Amino acid sequence: MKAIRIMSLLALVLILCTAFCPLTSAHRVYVREQVKEMQIKAWYGGGYPMAYADVTIYANSTSGEELYLKGKTDKEGMYYFTPKLGVSGYRVVVEATGHRAEKEFDLTGGSQETAELPLYMRILAGFGYLIGLAGIGMIFSARKLKKEYGNK
Amino acid sequence: MHISYGVLSFPVVAVGWCVTLALLAITLRWGTKDRGIAEEIPKVSVMTGAFFVASLVHIPVPPTSVHLILNGLLGVVLGVLAYPALFIGLTLQSLLFSFGGIDALGVNTMNMGVPALIAYGVFRTGCRRGAPMALLGAICGGLAIFASAILMAICLITTGKEFVDVAKVAVASHIPIMIIEAVITGSVVAFLAKVEPEMLPVDKEDERR
Repeated sequence: MKAIRIMSLLALVLILCTAFCPLTSAHRVYVREQVKEMQIKAWYGGGYPMAYADVTIYANSTSGEELYLKGKTDKEGMYYFTPKLGVSGYRVVVEATGHRAEKEFDLTGGSQETAELPLYMRILAGFGYLIGLAGIGMIFSARKLKKEYGNK
Repeated sequence: MHISYGVLSFPVVAVGWCVTLALLAITLRWGTKDRGIAEEIPKVSVMTGAFFVASLVHIPVPPTSVHLILNGLLGVVLGVLAYPALFIGLTLQSLLFSFGGIDALGVNTMNMGVPALIAYGVFRTGCRRGAPMALLGAICGGLAIFASAILMAICLITTGKEFVDVAKVAVASHIPIMIIEAVITGSVVAFLAKVEPEMLPVDKEDERR
């Protein structure tokens, strides 16, 4: 009887001990976040999706760039892949009959969009260049004409 | 129709640049031989502008997307000067719209410029034989796109794809463009022949003879 009492008292003390010092002797643990799926969307200028285009994905880790996955987009120009654990930098190349687009992004920082002029500005710029080129051509031909008339 | 940066192998890029530089020199000399460049500049500029903007007219053709090119029209209206015009237009497109790329510029100019020259040749011989101009224009407009698609397929096989498959896709996806450009080129030629016949390169040569 006495033995049982001592045993139960000991058990109680043990339980109390574990309750009061829960954190002291654990192994160090790590947690790593993981994005489970990446969506890649590819489309042509004008908004039409790049269907069934070849997709190549390169993983950018500290040891350099390496080929990670190859595949094809679906009908909507979408491609899904699971990122490699611990690698956040990727370069995606989408290619279809001579069309090719490339994008580099980082899972932690999102992708860097390069600022682009609006379309009408680019069209205007193009016409500006053309007028400039025409002007240069005109100057040259005018000089030639001047020479010809100067000789006469 | 534009082949992008990084798709082609080095020999193709090199050949494209050689052909383009050689043809640029030849066509510039030939096109300005007897009239001087002054009279051609306004026409060339306007047509280059049209070519530059036409590429923004996209037409979705599953599974790809195509756009107007107008190289046949340039060939018919500008004659040999279509080649430099296309070169300038493509440079602007690659810089401003990121179509193709600067290193693929030689190949792209070749793929579009050579068919333009072919279209000009066909148009000129056809006119001499007295074929109706509008019909000839339409044929040249379609023919130039067809030839471009074939040239593009030839360039793309260096990336390791089967020629027949690539050619089929390239030609098939450009069939709508061929029809549209045949109509455009035909009607522009018909309009010019009626309103401003001296705009067409053929009449000048016929008059001179």
